[in-house]
Order: sequence, then C-alpha cells, then structure tokens
Amino acid sequence: MAKKEIVIALAGNPNSGKTTVFNNLTGAKQHVGNWPGVTVEKKEGSCSFRGYSIKVVDLPGVYSLTAYSPDEVVARNFIIDEKPDVVVDIVDASNLERNLYLAVQIMEMGAPLIIALNMMDAAESRRYKIDVKTISQEMGVPVIPMVANRNKGTDELMEEIVRVAGKETEASGVRIEYGREVENEISRLEQAISEGPLASRYSPKWLAVKLLEGDEEVIKKFEEAKSG
Amino acid sequence: MANRGMPLVMAGTGKLLTVTGITAGWGLQRRLADMGLTPGVQIRVMSGQRAGPVLIDLRDSRLGLGRGVAQKILVKEVGDG
Amino acid sequence: MASVDVLKVREESIAHLKSIYGDEAETVIADARYGFISGLLKDALKKPPIERVSLSDGIDKFVINRWLGIPLFLALMYGVFQFVFSLSAPFMDWIDQFFGWIGGYAAGISPEWLGSLLADGIIGGLGSVLIFIPPIFLLFIAIAILEDCGYMARAAFVMDRLMHKVGLHGRSFIPMILGFGCNIPGIMACRTIENPRDRLTTILINPFMSCGARLPIFVLLAGAFFTANQGLVVFSMYIIGIIVAIIMALIFRKSILKGPSGHFVMELPPYRMPTITGVLVHMWERGRLFLRKAGTIIFGAVVVIWFLSSMPWGVEYASAESWIGHIGGFIAPIFAPAGFGQWQAGVSLIFGFLAKEVVVGTMGAIFAVEEGILGGAIASQLGWTPLVAFAFMVFCLLYMPCVAAIGAIRGETKSWKWAGFAALYTTVVAWIVATLIFQVGSLFV
Repeated sequence: MAKKEIVIALAGNPNSGKTTVFNNLTGAKQHVGNWPGVTVEKKEGSCSFRGYSIKVVDLPGVYSLTAYSPDEVVARNFIIDEKPDVVVDIVDASNLERNLYLAVQIMEMGAPLIIALNMMDAAESRRYKIDVKTISQEMGVPVIPMVANRNKGTDELMEEIVRVAGKETEASGVRIEYGREVENEISRLEQAISEGPLASRYSPKWLAVKLLEGDEEVIKKFEEAKSG
Repeated sequence: MANRGMPLVMAGTGKLLTVTGITAGWGLQRRLADMGLTPGVQIRVMSGQRAGPVLIDLRDSRLGLGRGVAQKILVKEVGDG
Repeated sequence: MASVDVLKVREESIAHLKSIYGDEAETVIADARYGFISGLLKDALKKPPIERVSLSDGIDKFVINRWLGIPLFLALMYGVFQFVFSLSAPFMDWIDQFFGWIGGYAAGISPEWLGSLLADGIIGGLGSVLIFIPPIFLLFIAIAILEDCGYMARAAFVMDRLMHKVGLHGRSFIPMILGFGCNIPGIMACRTIENPRDRLTTILINPFMSCGARLPIFVLLAGAFFTANQGLVVFSMYIIGIIVAIIMALIFRKSILKGPSGHFVMELPPYRMPTITGVLVHMWERGRLFLRKAGTIIFGAVVVIWFLSSMPWGVEYASAESWIGHIGGFIAPIFAPAGFGQWQAGVSLIFGFLAKEVVVGTMGAIFAVEEGILGGAIASQLGWTPLVAFAFMVFCLLYMPCVAAIGAIRGETKSWKWAGFAALYTTVVAWIVATLIFQVGSLFV
C-alpha cells in the first residue's frame, strides 16, 4: 500500500527551538541544500508516521512575514507558492506576545496552521499559567504544548499534523478585525485586485492587507503586472 | 503642546515607560514593529549605559537597541500626564 | 489594466488612513495584530504578580556590564582556546604516533613508487592535516556551546559600541566569531545584516578571522620555533587577525563602502542550557565539511604534490630539481623580502589556495616526515629563524581565503568581482604585513 505523502513547513522566531523540533521530527534523515536563487540554506528532512511519508521543510527563523529581509521572503514565498499541507509555527511559550505575531500573519495567509507551543518548561519556571485550550479556541487553530529539547510533545504534534493534513477543509484560524476604517480600505483594495490577474494566484484579501502594509514584494508584483 | 516624550537614551534604568513615538524611517519602524516595539507599548530599560547600546524589556523578551536606534524612540514614564 | 488602479487605490487608501490615524497604515495594522494578541493573552495567560528577576537577567548584569563586558568576553575566548588545546593534546599525540607507525610500514611497500606515494605523499601530507581533527572539532563544539546557550547575542551587544567606531554594529560581530571556526559559516552568517554596506564590509573582513584550517600551520611552526611560548604565539595570530580586520573595516567604511550604517536591533534570548545532542549536531554540521574537505580536496592536493615532487622520473624526491621545485623556485623571489623566499614555502602557499590546511599538507608531503618532526625538518632544512616563521605564519593568516571561502563570498555577494577583490586585497595586505614584520624585526633580532 503506497504511503500518502505530505509536505509540512516549520516556521517560527529565531531561538524558539525550531531546530530542535526539526531534529526531533526528522532524526538523522535530513539534508541541507540551497534555496534556488537566494543563498539561504534549505533544510529538508523526512519521517513517516501512521502510514504517511512526511517531508519536513525547515524555514528560516523569522520574526515576521513582511518582506524585509531575504529570510522572510524565502519563508513567505514557500508558504504561498508551495502551499505545504501543514505549517507548524513553533512558538516560545515564555515569550508569547511577540511569537504569536508571526502566527497571526501565517493565519492571515490562509495556510493550515498548527501552533507548537514549545519551551513550556521555561514558561513554567517563570510560573506562567497558560490556558492552551483558550488559545486554541480564540485563534481557531490546534495548539500542541511541547518541550522539544526533552522530546516531549513530538508524538502529539505528529498526530495533529497528520490529522490536519488529512482534513479536506481549506484554511483555519480566525480573521483579525483591523478596525472599521482599515477594513473599508481593505475592501476597496480587494475589489480592485479581484479584477486583476493576481487574484487567481493569491487571496485578494491577503494581497490587500500586504499592500497597505507597504510590502515591497507584493507592490513589485503589481508593478510587474502593470507593465507586463 | 502635547509632550511627545523623551528619547529612550535619556530614560533611567528600571522604570516602566510607554513608547510615545518612533522618529525613524519606515524600514526601521517596521523592523521595530516586527519585534514588538509599537507606539503605546510598555517597556522597561534593563541596562542603559552612557554610551553604547540599550537593553530593554519588551513584551516578555529582551531587546538590544543600538544607540542610534534608541535615540529615535520617544518614551514617557508611566504615570506622567 | 486593472492593476494600474490597484496601486493608485493603495496610495489613496494610505493617505486616507494617515489623515485619520496620523500614522502609516502598516503601524495601524501592526497595532491591531498586537491588540488581538493582547486580548487573547488576557484570557489565556496568567503571569505571577511579581516577576522575580530571572537568572538570565542576573547573569546579564555582569555579562553586558559596561566595564566587565569586554574583559569577560576576552577571558571567555582565552578560556575556549585553552580548553581546545589542552583537551586535544593527548589525542593529537596518539594520532601522530599512529601515522608515524603506518608511515614506517608503508615506506617499505614495493614497488617503491607506491611506497613513496603512500608514505611520503598521503601519510606525510594528509596525516599532517588529519592530526588536527581533535582541536578543530573541539573548536566547533565550543562555538556551538556559545551559540546554543545564548551568549553570542550578548557578545554582539557588548561589542556594538566598538563596532560603531569602525562603522559597523554589533550584528557584524557574530559572523566574526563564527569565522574563527570556519570562514564559510561566518560569511554566510552575514545574511542577518540588512544594510548592504555593513554586510559587504563584514564579509570582506571575515577571512582575517583565523579559521580552524590555519591552526595546523600555527601549531606546527609555533611548536617548532617558539616551543616555550607556543600558546602565546598562536593566540597572537588570532589577535593580529582581529586587529587587521578592524583596520580594514575602518578603511573600507571610509572609502569604497562609505555611507550610513545600519541599525542594531537584536533579541537577547534567555540563557539556555545547551543540550548535548544539540551541540553535537551543530559540531557535526560544520565538522563533517572539514572531513569532506580532507577526504577530497586535501587528499587530491597531496597526491598531486607528491607527483610533482617525484617528477621528473628518478629525481631526488622533493628536491629543487623536481617539478615542484621548479614551480616553487619560480615564485619564491616574491617572498624574499618577507624572509621566506624558499621554493618549499612558495609552493606550500600556492597550494594553500585550495584549503589552508594544505599549506601544512604540502610541507608534510615535501619533507616526507610525520608531523611530530616536521617542524624540526623545516627549521633545519630551510634555515628559518623564529622571526621568519612568525612572518610566514602572519602571511598564512592574512592571505587569500581558500577556494571554498571565495565561493561563499561569491555566493553571498552574487558577484565575482567582490570575490576576486577579496582574494586579491587579502594577499596584498598579507604580503605587506609579513614583509614589514620581517624587515622591521630584522633590525632588532
């Protein structure tokens, strides 16, 4: 019986333990290559779980997905262009506020997201009490607590990965309300975008938000569409 | 005339501060926003030296800011009108 | 044609939002995101009423202290240095004895040319490099520990002020430390520097960070010529590299790479206990490249050198009449002002282009002795004084980065021009400094 193949991407802030999760998932079966066109190391590995053959792509550690640095562009483009079956965002539980900023952006891209809440031990040693269920409910995505450098939570994560990948439904996560004025502008832009060529490749709403953010890559795409 | 606050480099160590403004180009502004430094956020100076970079406590993490950057961040002490 | 409208609509939207909020749209959006997160965390996160000063912050009070920061860093570097060398010394002895033994055995193999290839070329050449596996791997371990525990970010923070004086900032410091293990990860680490002028400057000065591959040269020569002070001499190589790097950074930032410098914004993650697996994985990632280099480039190089030393047929092995002698003799005069104008030195330096370890590998293959007495062989056969050895070490330290590093520079700058420039200017600087040392030194010694 042929194994089902899924592709997952690991995202997260630098220092969030992403590499440890990657190592836990893939063990020794990894190789480092080059992303085409940009000199960022591409780390890929593989593992199998419950009859699935899983390709794990380790995205560069980034704080955000606005195209400020080559790392962010690579991470962002992989999610939009390659459309992995699951994106796992590795979040440092002792540093939730800033780490979730990335998760929110991934949600906005419409990618199937699982939050791996790592470094739970660090949060505990600071006597933080984290209600995992509430986070999961309010964000609309599964949240898996982990202590990656003791290999805790890896199995639960794999279960969830396989479960989410197997689902037929598209995107997950809630949508953030940006306030009435901004939402109005987003709608205006969405309308203008929907009439154009880019709407078929990318979500118009996401493009609209990116344009308002001043994202250079997205602006460039529109400029190219204009002249092309 | 609203008091826009003082540059971060002039704030003392340990006090709770509110960021009132960032007088930087959009590149730096966005970079700082990505790290969590947006107007209105509360920060605390962990280590400010008379020269050299400043270390602040921001949204549960520690951020090192070069002197030039710290000069562009305006803050007010929490409790100031 | 709809796309034309989009960008225009965008400008209108941004202007409109600016008039309402007084801020750029992106700030409003960022705020909204953080607002959402804050709301979420109010429900989901409970922090203790008083946060005790974390251990991390306590440690940082000393580590990034205005007065203690840099001395602590230097002490740490010296400590790493001692750690690497004292721990690896017994292993290096074992490896040396092993190669000495099989070298003696191999020399007796017939036919004679095969015995020579094995004993003089491969064992003499490759062996003199492989003996450095212990210190090089230990160095990678030390760097991995520094990275994994979180100290690297502190080092960057502490050095930011000094970096500013040469027109860079703290972020440029981390690639420099990585460069001490191997220049290639160091050069690649420059990616995190956004400002293109800062990034290019840091890339260009990275080769002056004395990488692990240069260790064999320093240990060998310091051991033979400065036996009593060898540790100090090797350490001085690192310091000289840093000083030259700083001077060149200044020169670059004031001339060809003039311009405003970037901003230093860097997270200092809490200190973390590195895990053994984590450290070993990091060490292996870099260490295996060294082994691969040894198995391929260096191996190939010593075979070629052996061949050149044995031709023309029947010539005395590695004598001035062999092909390699002729090649070396041709360029040797260039190095005369620096004191090492012998063909053996010249040829070693040429082959060092492939990989810096090959300098020692070449010497090993030419003199056809095992590492333990290679130093003595150089001293007696080339007639070097400690001053010459020192000048030679400095030249090796500073000159042209190895092929792989040049490739990395080309990869990161996407330009052959800069890669070529790096190769050229480092060699010129090396020649000038080595010559200065020899000429000025000769007046005193």
